[in-house]
Amino acid sequence: MGAVLDVRGLNKSFDGIVVARDVDLSLQPGQVIGLIGPNGAGKTSLFNLISGVIKPDSGTVALDGARIDALKFHERVSAGLSRTWQHIRLFSSLTVLDNLLIGSADYPGERLVNVLFARGRLRTHDALAREKALAILGKIGLSAAAGAVVSDLPYGQQKLVGVARALMRGGKCLLLDEPMAGVEGQSYAAMQRVVREVAEQGVAVCIVEHNVAFIQDLCDEGVFMFSGTILARGPIAELTRNPQLTELYFGH
Amino acid sequence: MEYVDGIIIIVGLYVILATSFNLIIGYGGLVSIAHPVFFALGAYTSAILARNFGVPVPLAMVAGMIVALVASVALVLPTLRVSGDYLLIASIGFQLGVLEIIKNVRFTGGAGGYTNIPPFLIRDFGRESYVALVLVVMVAVILLVRLVARSDYGRAMSAMRDDELAFASVGRNAMWMKLAIFGLGSGLAGLAGALYAHYFRFITPEQFEILQSSAILTMVVVGGMRTTWGPIVGALLLEALPQAITFLNLPPSVLGPIQGLLFTGLVLVFMFFRPQGLVPAENVWRGGEETR
Amino acid sequence: MLNATILLQILWTSLATSSYYVLFAVAFALVLKVTRIFNFAQAAIMTVAFYSAFVTVQWLEWPAWAAFIVMMAITLAASFALERIGFEALRKRGVSVMFVFVFTFMVSEFVAYLAMLAFGTWPQTIFPTIFWPVTLVGNIAVSAWDLPAIGATIAMLALLFSFMRFTRMGQFMVGVADNPDLAELYGVNKRQIFLVAVLMAGALVAVGMFLYGTRAQVLPQTGLSLMLFAIAATIIGGIGNIAGAAIAAIILGVIQNSSILVIPSEWQGLLLYVFLFLAIVFFPNGLRLPRRRRRFATATRDIGGSKDASAAEGQV
Repeated sequence: MGAVLDVRGLNKSFDGIVVARDVDLSLQPGQVIGLIGPNGAGKTSLFNLISGVIKPDSGTVALDGARIDALKFHERVSAGLSRTWQHIRLFSSLTVLDNLLIGSADYPGERLVNVLFARGRLRTHDALAREKALAILGKIGLSAAAGAVVSDLPYGQQKLVGVARALMRGGKCLLLDEPMAGVEGQSYAAMQRVVREVAEQGVAVCIVEHNVAFIQDLCDEGVFMFSGTILARGPIAELTRNPQLTELYFGH
Repeated sequence: MEYVDGIIIIVGLYVILATSFNLIIGYGGLVSIAHPVFFALGAYTSAILARNFGVPVPLAMVAGMIVALVASVALVLPTLRVSGDYLLIASIGFQLGVLEIIKNVRFTGGAGGYTNIPPFLIRDFGRESYVALVLVVMVAVILLVRLVARSDYGRAMSAMRDDELAFASVGRNAMWMKLAIFGLGSGLAGLAGALYAHYFRFITPEQFEILQSSAILTMVVVGGMRTTWGPIVGALLLEALPQAITFLNLPPSVLGPIQGLLFTGLVLVFMFFRPQGLVPAENVWRGGEETR
Repeated sequence: MLNATILLQILWTSLATSSYYVLFAVAFALVLKVTRIFNFAQAAIMTVAFYSAFVTVQWLEWPAWAAFIVMMAITLAASFALERIGFEALRKRGVSVMFVFVFTFMVSEFVAYLAMLAFGTWPQTIFPTIFWPVTLVGNIAVSAWDLPAIGATIAMLALLFSFMRFTRMGQFMVGVADNPDLAELYGVNKRQIFLVAVLMAGALVAVGMFLYGTRAQVLPQTGLSLMLFAIAATIIGGIGNIAGAAIAAIILGVIQNSSILVIPSEWQGLLLYVFLFLAIVFFPNGLRLPRRRRRFATATRDIGGSKDASAAEGQV
């Protein structure tokens, strides 16, 4: 069936706390899945496990049919699995544009030999990357902020920049960790637009979110997590109407 | 004139050491005190190859640089795999340990030092030619580090320093970059060592000890990290100070500690009251523009 | 010729001389555990301790017990200054890990140079002689220094253990070591606890240096090498594991002393650095898993933001 992301049987415990128990998750191209659940359910940990920030106790992760368990975090990103952070992690010493440029799929400037002996390659790549970055910034309405220092931007815009940076990679799968937390107004609308567009282009998206309206709007399907276990899957409307799940959610 | 030539060469070499150390600790964010040991490895390698094996000096110098580079990778590779925080501890061990080896091994001349190092250029072209050589290398090193810092590589280094986890999340490989930065910086220190050896023609382990670590660190911290001029100002200042002290005609047993106190004291004072140094760096990375 | 007697002799001597290593390692490990700081300034404290004892005995010509008291007082004062003036200022500024490392290391260097200036670079000892009367037990030569040294060490460790187990402040200390913010929420005065930890480490160091300086020669730079030993033991013993550091110190001490059997004496100095390297590369999390599973990266993150990629995101 060609799932972009195929997670099977992921297990992890820390200090006796089960953070993931037999988690299965699969994402089709263009699919947008909402990962919901109360705080402490293990949603961010799941992202950490999938992207390779932490090693699972058991289980497998495959991207586009190929196993990526042996790959380190940055290697998985290179393979096409991007993610954003719950607490934005922008590079404070770089401008908005530079934050995006450093995220481009290919970055010849990462190798010293290129800097010393292949300046032409750097220039060509730079021009292309700039074009792409400015295009993305345009789509989210932040073209004017390209030269700004990230700390000068309001929180919502910083979050948008974080997502934009992940988009520079042009990967196959995108994990968004609470992209809407603390975001409102124009940034909210921009974020929605971005996610829709990216999914239309065939990228598989998984969003951890508490903002139900956002999820309902964008997600085809939802997955409910609690205490490291996936309790339910299905259309978002069904999940949000389920009284037992609602109790678990708000009971915490 | 010989005295002045010697001073210019020393200052030039320290500028190379400070600039290359700035690359490692300032731009790369790698905390290590093991710079003098690579200075030593370059000096001893070049000296031994030229004197004991008859290798032509330019080739020996290049070999010195390569040995320093390879040794630095040997230090950094295993420790960075563990965690960046361990690098400092490992570098202390490496600096002290390798010098211990040099002091105890016969073919380096042991604690007594290595003498009769073959000269270079001076017999044929005069002392000034060597001075010119050192100055040319110095300028090249300054321009090289400046180029690297202002290029796309500089952008990457800046991001890596800011947040390594985020750096990985955009698919960049921090490990390779750290190895390259450390290797290049240490290799340049090795080159400085080779240049030192073939001018002064006598090297002892004492010249490469922890005092030098403090001196170079002071030059970079006091001068200003992550700037082009900072290490230069730092090197000039810190070479001027000992020269000024020698005019006080202090006995050598006092001179050494006083220099040490000055260096470490300055670092402490600056770290406390002006951590950005004399030439402050910009907060934001800007490529290709005028940086200080 | 290797026989049982020689082996036992070496074992005994190395065990006795491990005494000061244990004290230095425990001091380092204690400060690290409670304050999360790699106290590279411990070498400075060690230097201060030794030379205050030296001056009291050899220049002022006071008796040994007076020297010990003077040394303890001065060492505690220096530790007080280190914590209240040094570490507190660094904490207030929220400086990076690199800053703390460089700063504390430079402090040790500074003090070493002061010592060089004041006392010269030739080896000194606390008493004019380091020769102690020897009695033969079986065929083993037991120095009059050995038993008091071991006794002193055990006494200090016992004091430390009882303090941490049975006093309220000791228990607070364990709490702060585990989770400083949580401890604060429960009303524990972090500031006070940090100070107590640093002072206790100072006391351990003072006793250790008194032992060392009455048996071996000391140079201004000796503090630095001894501290590196303590660091190796702390890493091998497991960060956060004080008992582990002590045991590692004994083992390393025994290995170092017995190495005279296989390694020529010029190379003995190198052994320490080899230990350090091996410790970092092969045992960064210690030979025994620390009970509190505090990963090194998480532990140091609290001093000021190690953004190392090896530190995993903490959220669940």
